[in-house]
Formats: sequence, structure tokens, C-alpha cells
Amino acid sequence: MGDLGINLPGLITQIISFVILFVILSKVLYKPLVAMLDQRAEKITAGLEAAERAKEEAAKSEESIQEQLQEARAEGQKLVTQARETADRFREEEMTKVREELEAERARAESNIQRERDAAIEELRKEFAGLAITAAEKVVKTSLDEEGHRALIEGVLNDEGSRNN
Amino acid sequence: MSKILGNPRMLAIVIICTLVFGASILGGALGSAFGFGFFASSLPAIQLPAEKVADGFSTPVGKWDVMNTMITTWLAMLFLILISLRIRKNLKDVPGRLQALFEVIMEFFLGLCEQIAGKEHARRFFPLVFTIFIFIVIANWMGILPGFGTVGRIAAPEEIAHHHDIHDYHDPALADSQHKAAESKVEKHDAHHTDSHEGDHGAHLDSVKLHIFTDYQSLPIAALSPASLNEEVTFAEYNEKHGDVGVGKRAGHLVPFLRSANTDLNMSLAIAIVAMVMVHFWGLSILGIFGHIGKFINFKAGPIGFFVGLLEIIGEVGRVISFTFRLFGNIFAGEVLLMAMAFLLPFIGILPFLGLELFVGLIQAFVFSMLTLVFAAMASVSHDGGDHH
Repeated sequence: MGDLGINLPGLITQIISFVILFVILSKVLYKPLVAMLDQRAEKITAGLEAAERAKEEAAKSEESIQEQLQEARAEGQKLVTQARETADRFREEEMTKVREELEAERARAESNIQRERDAAIEELRKEFAGLAITAAEKVVKTSLDEEGHRALIEGVLNDEGSRNN
Repeated sequence: MSKILGNPRMLAIVIICTLVFGASILGGALGSAFGFGFFASSLPAIQLPAEKVADGFSTPVGKWDVMNTMITTWLAMLFLILISLRIRKNLKDVPGRLQALFEVIMEFFLGLCEQIAGKEHARRFFPLVFTIFIFIVIANWMGILPGFGTVGRIAAPEEIAHHHDIHDYHDPALADSQHKAAESKVEKHDAHHTDSHEGDHGAHLDSVKLHIFTDYQSLPIAALSPASLNEEVTFAEYNEKHGDVGVGKRAGHLVPFLRSANTDLNMSLAIAIVAMVMVHFWGLSILGIFGHIGKFINFKAGPIGFFVGLLEIIGEVGRVISFTFRLFGNIFAGEVLLMAMAFLLPFIGILPFLGLELFVGLIQAFVFSMLTLVFAAMASVSHDGGDHH
């Protein structure tokens, strides 16, 4: 043993030294540091849980927002469709109305024109008959009585009129 | 190549490397064979027991002296305690660098404890396992620092003789002067006395190797003249060549003030004993007295069981011994290797081995602590638990 350098006092000294180191390190280093590590692990676990929860919440709210958005979009779509339909209908109605009005206007104008023309023709005919008579009177003077002339001219005019027509 | 030589910085590096390499080869033991050897250190006397640095006191179990390994042990302790106090003082939730370093190492060991010993016992085993690891690592790495094993005092021949259990050797030089002084006083049986002593232990000392230290600025430093390389001789050889040891030169051993703690069997044995005592303490407290002792002294399982119990006891003793010598052997061999390399190729020969020693120091610490943990885990499990339940 002596040759190997093992001697009892030295051995005891080293054992005591090591035990002292063991005790001091346990008290000074391990206890507070391990406690701190545990505490931190707890804190991190709590933090992760909170983050997880927040994420879930965010996902949930995201979902609800998405839903609302979907709803709003659908609503908007519906409104637009409705509006378009209303507009179409309105236009259709307007168009019909305008067309009718136009038609009425045209018809009225046509009838007016017809009437005017008829009146003008009548007038013309009357005037022309008077004029012709006067002219004939002047030309023929007495060769024919008035009754006979008128009948003759009427006949001529009628012929003319039907030809013109 | 020309690119390297063209760059003045690279060129300087190359030149310096070449010079260092040349100086290393020529200046070392290799060069001394060819008459150089200007950087040669002496190959220090390699001895197993730690060297005594200061005298202590007598105790009932033997003389207690301050050994150089004890000083290293205390330095390592002091270092660790100071560091832990510093960490303790600046303990923060957001760790600083030092705290973070220790947290990482401790987390690693806590994880290992939980893996090997299970969650319930991990916290219990951790302090010892970690103390073993951190202490052995620090002590081993300290031993690699310059100054360890090289700076010391030179022990006189009497001391060396004393170390080799030759308690009545006297330096011939001192003996001569004492002899002369005594002669003038008492002339009775002085000469006879000295002569008988010379004859007595000349035989013992012939086998003791010595280094010859020339006085270097009267400093007790192992800065030796190149001649010392060739002058490793025994007392008998030296006496033949130079006459009395004490004439002109003093012969002596270098006694380093600091020596790597685990190159002392006392230290590794102390850790092994503490570890195994704690292992058995845990075994007792976890399994109960009968549960734990029953593993070793077993009457229940018949003669074979009893025999197995005896083998277990031998195994426990073997564990202490293997613990002790594994650590001691590795670290001591490392020290010797470093000394030898510094002796053969100063500067460069030692470089790769410094790295190797760092690695070995770490691995040995890890092995020691892990084996302690495994033994503790084994001791905390009942032997017959697996078979009967």
C-alpha cells in the first residue's frame, strides 16, 4: 500500500475534502439551480399552454370571422341579384310604357294626319267644286242650268277622286 | 506555394513554424544525442505516491503531511466553490453565460439520471453524480496546466532515501562537515559510526535513480542544464564518476508543488469510497435494511443463493478497486505521457497529447459518474423483484 502511495491520513483527508465539496455544491449550486430549472420548466409549460389556448382561440375567431364573411358575401350576392332583378323589371316596365306611349302617340298623330288630310281633301273638293262651277258659269253661262251643271261636275269630280284615290 | 511565400504574413508563419519545429527536434532528447539538446528538460522522476510538500503532524493512524495532490484538490474545490457562489449570486431567470453553461451541463446530467435511475430517484442521485463529474473534470484539466508537475522544490538525497524507507542515510557532504565538526569535539567513535552507516545503505541506494540538478540562479525550479539529461544515474554510478554526491553538486528529486489530484491513489480511492458508500446508503434507504443486505447474505435461495451473495460482496469490493485504478491509471499515464513528450520533443510533441489529455480527463470523469449512477440505479432495485412479481 505504501508503494502505491495509499496512506490512511491522506485517504481520510481526501474523503473529507470530497464530502465537503459535495455538501457545499449541493447547498450552493444544485439546490437553487435545479429549483430554478424546475421553475422555468413550469413557466415554459404554462406559457406553451397559454400559447396553445391563444392559438385555438384565434383559430376559433378566425373561423367565426370566416363564417360571417361568408354570410355577408351571400347576403351581398342576394342583394345584388335582387337589385338586378328589380332593375330589370323596372326597365322592362319602363320600356313597355314608353313603347306604348310612343305607339299611342304615333296612332294619335296618324289619326290626326288622316283627319287633317280628309278635312283638307273635303275642303279642297268643296272649294274645287265651287271654283269649277264658277269657272263653268263663266265659260258656259247660261247653256246649262245650275242644277244640271252641278250634277255634271260632281260626277266628273267623283270620277277624278276615285281615280286619284 | 509561391502565393504562400509571397505573402509576408504567411511567410513569417512558415518561418516561425520551421524554427519551432527545428528547435523542438534539435533541442529535445533527440537532439541531445547529437550534442544539441539545449531545450531538454530532465525526465522527472516518476513515482506513484504523491510528493510531500510540507510537514504535517502525527495522528493515531500515521503521519499526516501536506501532499501536492492535496493542494490541487483544494484548489479545484476552491475553484468550484467560487464559481458556484458566483452563479448563486447572479442567479437569474434569464441566465448569464456562466449560469447557462452550468444549466446545460446540469440539464444533461439530470436527463441522464432520469433515464437511468427513473424519475423518482433521479433527484436523489443527481448531486453526487454531478459532483463526481465536475470535480474530476476540473481536477484533471487543472493537472494539464503549465506548472503542474514541473515547478517545485528539489528534495535532498536524505529525503529521497527517506521516501524509499531508508531512514538512516546522510548526505556524504553534510556528513563530512558534521564529521569534521564532530571530530574537533568528540573523537571517540565518530569515524566508525559514519563508516558503518555508509556500508549499511549503500546497497539500498544503488537502485535509486537520481537526477543531478545544477544550481540554476539558486531558484528551486526545474530549469535544468542540458547535462542533466545524460546524468540520470544511481547513487553508486554517481559516486563512481563524481565522488561524493555532495561535492560541488547536489543530487535530488524534483518535488513539484502541484500535481494532478487524480494521480494520487488516495484521491481516486476517496471518491470511489464515497460513491460506493452512498450507493449502499441509497440501497438501504430505498429497499430497507433486509431488502438490501439480503442481496449479499442470502439464506432463502439455498446454498447457491448464498454463494451468489458472496460473489456479490466480492463484486462490490471489485467495483471500488476498478473505480480507483481506472481513474488513477488513466490520469497518471497521461501525466507520464506528457512528461515524456515534453522530454522528447519540446513545444510540439506535447500539443496533440494535450488535446488527448483534455479528452481523457473528460471521459474518465463521465465514466466515473455514469458508473456511480448505474450502480446506484442497480442498488435501488430489489434483486428478486423481477423474478417473483
